[in-house]
Amino acid sequence: MSVATAAAKERIRRVPESLTPNRLRTIVAFVAAIAVFVIGDILHPGFGSAESVKAILLTASFVGFVAAGQTFVVLVGGIDLSVPWVLNAAAILVVTTSLGQDGRAAWAVLLTLAMGLGFGLVNGLAVAFLAVPAVVITLAMNGIAQGLTLGLSQGLTCSSCASYAPPVVRDAVTGEALGIPGGLFLWLGIVLLMTFVLGYTTFGRRVYAIGNNSEASFLAGVNVRLVTVVLYMLSGMFAAFAGITLAAYGGQASLGMGDPYLFQSIAAVVIGGVSILGGRGNYLGSTAGSVTLVALVTLLLAENMPDWGRDVVYGGVILVILLLYGREKTAV
Amino acid sequence: MTERPVQTILDGTEPRTSRAIEASGVSKHFGGVQALRSASFSADFGEVHALVGENGAGKSTMIKILSAVLAPDEGTVRVKGDEVSLASPLEARRLGVGTVFQELTLLPWMTVAENLLLGNEPLSRTRLIRRRQLPARADEILAGYGVEGIDPLELVASLPLAQRQTIEIVRTLLRDPEILFLDEPTSALGEREVEWLFGLVRDLRERGRCIIFTSHRWGEVVNIADRITVFRNGEFVTTREHMDEAEAVTLMTGRTIERMYPELPRPAQDAEVALDVRDLRGARVDGVSFQVRRGEILGVGGLAGQGQRDLFMTLFAARRPSGGEISVGGKRVRLRNPHDAIDARLGIALVPEDRKSEGLMLPLSVRDNLSLVVLSRVSAGGIVRRLLENRMVWRMVERLQIRTRRVAVQEVGTLSGGNQQKVLIGRWLLAEPDIMLLYDITRGVDVGTKHDIYQLMVDLIREGKALLFYSSDTEEMAHVCHRVLIMREGRIAGELAGDEIDAERLVAAALKEHAAV
Amino acid sequence: MPPSETQPRFRSRSRWGHFSVQQAPLLLSFAILAGTFGVYVGLFVANQHHFLTPFEGQSIVNTALPLVFAAVGQSIVVLTRGIDLSVGGVMALTNTIVASNMHASTGSMVAWSLIGLVIGAGAGLVNGCLIAFGRLQPILVTLATLSIYTGLAIKVLPEPGGAIPVEYTKYMANVNGPWGLIYVAGLLLVWFVFRRTPFGVAVYAIGNDQAAARASGIKVRPAKVGVYVFAGTLYSAGALFFSATTLGGDATAFDPFILTSIAAVVLGGISFFGGRGSAVGAVAGAFALTLVTPLLFQANVNQLYTDAFQGLFLVLAVVLAGLVGRLVSARA
Repeated sequence: MSVATAAAKERIRRVPESLTPNRLRTIVAFVAAIAVFVIGDILHPGFGSAESVKAILLTASFVGFVAAGQTFVVLVGGIDLSVPWVLNAAAILVVTTSLGQDGRAAWAVLLTLAMGLGFGLVNGLAVAFLAVPAVVITLAMNGIAQGLTLGLSQGLTCSSCASYAPPVVRDAVTGEALGIPGGLFLWLGIVLLMTFVLGYTTFGRRVYAIGNNSEASFLAGVNVRLVTVVLYMLSGMFAAFAGITLAAYGGQASLGMGDPYLFQSIAAVVIGGVSILGGRGNYLGSTAGSVTLVALVTLLLAENMPDWGRDVVYGGVILVILLLYGREKTAV
Repeated sequence: MTERPVQTILDGTEPRTSRAIEASGVSKHFGGVQALRSASFSADFGEVHALVGENGAGKSTMIKILSAVLAPDEGTVRVKGDEVSLASPLEARRLGVGTVFQELTLLPWMTVAENLLLGNEPLSRTRLIRRRQLPARADEILAGYGVEGIDPLELVASLPLAQRQTIEIVRTLLRDPEILFLDEPTSALGEREVEWLFGLVRDLRERGRCIIFTSHRWGEVVNIADRITVFRNGEFVTTREHMDEAEAVTLMTGRTIERMYPELPRPAQDAEVALDVRDLRGARVDGVSFQVRRGEILGVGGLAGQGQRDLFMTLFAARRPSGGEISVGGKRVRLRNPHDAIDARLGIALVPEDRKSEGLMLPLSVRDNLSLVVLSRVSAGGIVRRLLENRMVWRMVERLQIRTRRVAVQEVGTLSGGNQQKVLIGRWLLAEPDIMLLYDITRGVDVGTKHDIYQLMVDLIREGKALLFYSSDTEEMAHVCHRVLIMREGRIAGELAGDEIDAERLVAAALKEHAAV
Repeated sequence: MPPSETQPRFRSRSRWGHFSVQQAPLLLSFAILAGTFGVYVGLFVANQHHFLTPFEGQSIVNTALPLVFAAVGQSIVVLTRGIDLSVGGVMALTNTIVASNMHASTGSMVAWSLIGLVIGAGAGLVNGCLIAFGRLQPILVTLATLSIYTGLAIKVLPEPGGAIPVEYTKYMANVNGPWGLIYVAGLLLVWFVFRRTPFGVAVYAIGNDQAAARASGIKVRPAKVGVYVFAGTLYSAGALFFSATTLGGDATAFDPFILTSIAAVVLGGISFFGGRGSAVGAVAGAFALTLVTPLLFQANVNQLYTDAFQGLFLVLAVVLAGLVGRLVSARA
C-alpha cells in the first residue's frame, strides 16, 4: 500500500515532465550497457576497443532480432516460448532448402520466414480466438517445432542438413562495409523499423492500447484479435530471421542452437524496461538490454567464468533488474 | 424470506453507548484523484449510522480505510477509544470490525458452503477439514439467518447478484462483529431482501452493536438510521439526527436541485428515429424493444444489475445478440463488433461505466487516449499524422476544458477523476457519433464535472444526437431523461415519461413486483 | 450446533449433478487418460499378441513417477495463478547432488533422499520469497532461478556421471512389485490431506481472487511462499525417482519437465487463471503424457517425433477443454 502512495508521490515531484518513467527505463538500460563496456575496459584493457565492441554488438544482434518479436508480444501482455525451436527449425530449413547455392537463397529465405510466420499464426490464433494462455500454446508449439525439426531432419543426419548457408546470405551478415559487419546494418534497420512502427503508426498505438487495457481497446473499436495474431506472427518471423542470420554467421545449422535465445530474449526485454504485464516499454530498451546481456557474458568469459557461473550470473542479473523496477504496484 | 428470530444465533450482549469507531483528519488519494481530504467520522455503539453522499464523495474509501483494506495517507483511526494502525483486514476483524463491501469479496469458483465457512471449517480430531460436513453446516447457518432457496453446493459464480449479496452479508454477520459496515448493501437487493436485512440490523442495534451503512435510497436512510453523516467531495460535511431530503440533497451536492440540473429541450415531434430496437435477445437481455429519436434522452432504469449493462453492451455489439433486430437511422444493421457499431450509418458510441477497466489506458498519454477511436481518420497509410492529431486533440481538450498541459506526455492516470471522465467522453465525441450510449458516466466524478456533463448532454441533443442513459443515481435519472424504461431481469417492465418521472416513482416502479430470491 | 434433520434443505441438483458440472475438466482428464491407455493397449495387443504383463505395467508407472510428482507440484503453483519454470532446475540440482553423494548403505540412501527434498524446499523458498515479498511475476522469477539452479547443477556435475546405488532402484523404481502404484497412492493421500488443511483452502482462495482472499482474512504472502516450498519439495521427490531409474546424474536431463509438467497440468483440467481444478487431474495428465512415448513406439513412429506429438497432444487438450468448458457453462 505504501508503495502505491510512494509511486504517486514520485510522479508528482518528478521534475522534468518529458522524462517519463518509460523514457527513464530506456535510458537506464543504455547506461547499463555503457557501464558494462567501461568496467570491462578497466578490468581488461581492450575490452572497449572498436574490434571488441563490434564483435560484441554482432553477437548481441541475434539476441536483438529475437527480442524484437518478443518485445511485440510482451507489449500486449503475452510471451513467446516457442522461440528456441522455431529459430532452430529456421536455421535448418534455410540451409537444407538453399543447399548453399546463391540461386536458391532468395526462395529459401522467404520460405523460412513464412515458416516462422506460420508458427506464429498458430500461436496467435490460439491466444486470440481460443483464449489459450500464451505460456501454454507457445510451449506446445515449441515442442511441435522441436519434434518436427528432429523428425524431418532425422536428427540432423539428412543429406542436405550439412549444407552451408548460401554465400550471399553469409555476406549479408558477416561481410563488412565501412568496417561494419552487415549484421549490424540489418539490426540498425530493424531498430529504426520497430521504433517507427511502435511510435508513429496506428498499429503501434493500438499495440500499446491493447497492452494497457485490452477490454477498453475492444470497446474503442480496436480489432484486438487481429492485432494479437499479427504480433505473434511477427514474433515467429523474427525468430526465423534470427535463425537464418545465425546459420549465416556460423555457416551451418546445429541442433540446440536456439536454446539460449529464449532466456536471452526475455532477459533483454526485461532489462530494457518492457513491462511483462504489457503496455510499457519500447524496442530501444530491448536493444540496450540485448547489448548489456551479451557484453556482460563476454566479460565473464574473459574473466574465465565457467559455464555454470554464467548461468548463475544470468539469473542473478534478471532478479536484480526485476527487484529494481519489475515490482507490481499493488501490495498483496 | 421468512423472518426468524436472530437471537438463536447471536447471544445477547449488554447495550453500550460508547464511541465505537472514529477517524480524524483522514486523507487518501489514488493517482491524481483526491478521494478523501482530511475527513473525519465517528459512530457509537447501539446506533445505526448512515453515511451518505454522492458517488465519489469518499464514503467507500472511508469504509475501506476503517476496515483496513486501504491505508490512509494521513490521519488517525481509533477503535473503541484506542488509536490503532491497522495493517490488514484480519487485524481489523480481531478488533471486532466486520464489513460487507460494495465489490463482493466472495470467491467465485468455490461453493457457497466453502465461502460461508472460509476460515471456520468444521475440523476432525486430526485437525483436518471435514469437507463432507460443509453443506450441512452451511444449511444450518443459512436457515439460522432465515435465508432460503440457496444451494450450498452451488458455485458462487453461478448465483444471481442478489443471492451473492445475501451470502456476503451472512458471512460477515457470522463473525458476530461489534462494529458492522454495510457499503451499499441494498443496491442489488429486492424489497423483501431489504426487509430481511433491516430486521437483522435492528436486532444488532438492540444488542448494542454499531452499524454503519451507505445507501442511495433516501427512504431506507430515513427508515433505519439513528444518525446521518454527509460527505461531499471527500470531505466531512455534518452529522445530524434528523434531516429532510431536500436538506440532505443540498448538503450532499452543495447546491439546490434546481441549479443542479439544466433545463431539457424537448425533442421535435417529427424527429427522425435514430435507433429502433425490436425484440433484442442475448445474455441477460430478454426481448427488449424501444425507439430513441434524435434529440431525445432515453433513460434505462430499474434496480442495479437487471440487465442494463448487458443491454448497452449488446447494442454496441460488444456482445453477440441471440435474436432481434437493430435499425439505425431507419436501416436494419448487423453489427459484429464495436468497430462495426462505430462505423454504423449514424455511428454508435458507448461511454462505459468503469473508466479504469473498460475505458481508459491510464499509463498512456491524454493524446493517445483521446485519439484511439479516430486513429484511422488522423492517419495516412497507417502512419499517424501527428500535427493533424494534435490539432484535433487540443480542440477537444479546450471544448471539454480538460485540465492538462502537455497532451502528448501527461499520463491520463495523473488526472483527477472528473478530468479522466472528460477524456473518455472526449474520445467518443471525436468519433462524432449520432447515437451515444452513456452508462453511468457520472459515477465517481465531482459535482462540477457532473454539471458540465449534464450541460454537454443538453448540447448534444440540441445537435440532434440521440442518447441512451443509465445511472446508478436515481435522482439523476429522474432529471436528465425525457423517458425512462424500467428494466427487470432483462425485460422492459415499464416506462415513465415526462412529468411522471421522479425519483420516488422510479424506485417504486423498479421495486414493484420484484420477485425475491 | 447439533445438526437438525427437520430443516428443509434446498438443492438445485444432486451431489453428483454438482460434481459433474463443477468438475467437468477433471472428468475430461480421466477420459483422456482412458482413451490414451485404450489406444496404447490396443496397439500393444495387436503387435505383441498378449495383454500387458504386470512387469510392463509397473515399468510404465515407474517411468511416469518423476513427471507425476513434478506435475502435482506445478498444479499447486498454477492453482494460485502462478507458473513455475524453475522445475527443471530444481530437479537437476537435486539429481546431481544426490548422484554425486549417495552410497549403497541404507543410512546414506535415506539421508541423501531427505537432503534432496530439503534442496527442493530451499529452492522453492527462494522462489516463493521473491514472488510474495518481492512482488515479482512468477514467470520471470522462475525463469531467472531456472538459470541459477541449472547453473549450480552444472557446477556440481559438469558432465553426466555420478552414481546412484542399484539398491536405491529396488526401493524407488522396482518393476517386480506394485511399488510405483503405492508411491502414487501416497502422493494422492498427501493431496487429499492438503485439500483439507487451511493451507489448501488458502491456495484455492488466492487463485480465485487474491484481493478477496486477503479481505477474507487469508494471509496471502506466507501461503504463497508455502506453495513454492511445497512445489519445490515435490519436484525433488520427482528427481529422486528419476535418479533411481537412470542411476546417474545429468544436469541437462530435466529441461523437458518444464513442458511436460505444464502440459500435465493443462491435461488435468486445472485452470491457468487459478483457483479451479484438482491435482488428481494432473496425475492423470502425467500418465497420459508418459504413455505417448510407448504408444508412438507401438505405432512404429520415429521417436524423434515424440516432442511434436506431446505438443500436439497439449494443443488438442487445450482446445477440447475450451469446448467442454463452453458446453458446461451453457448447461450451468
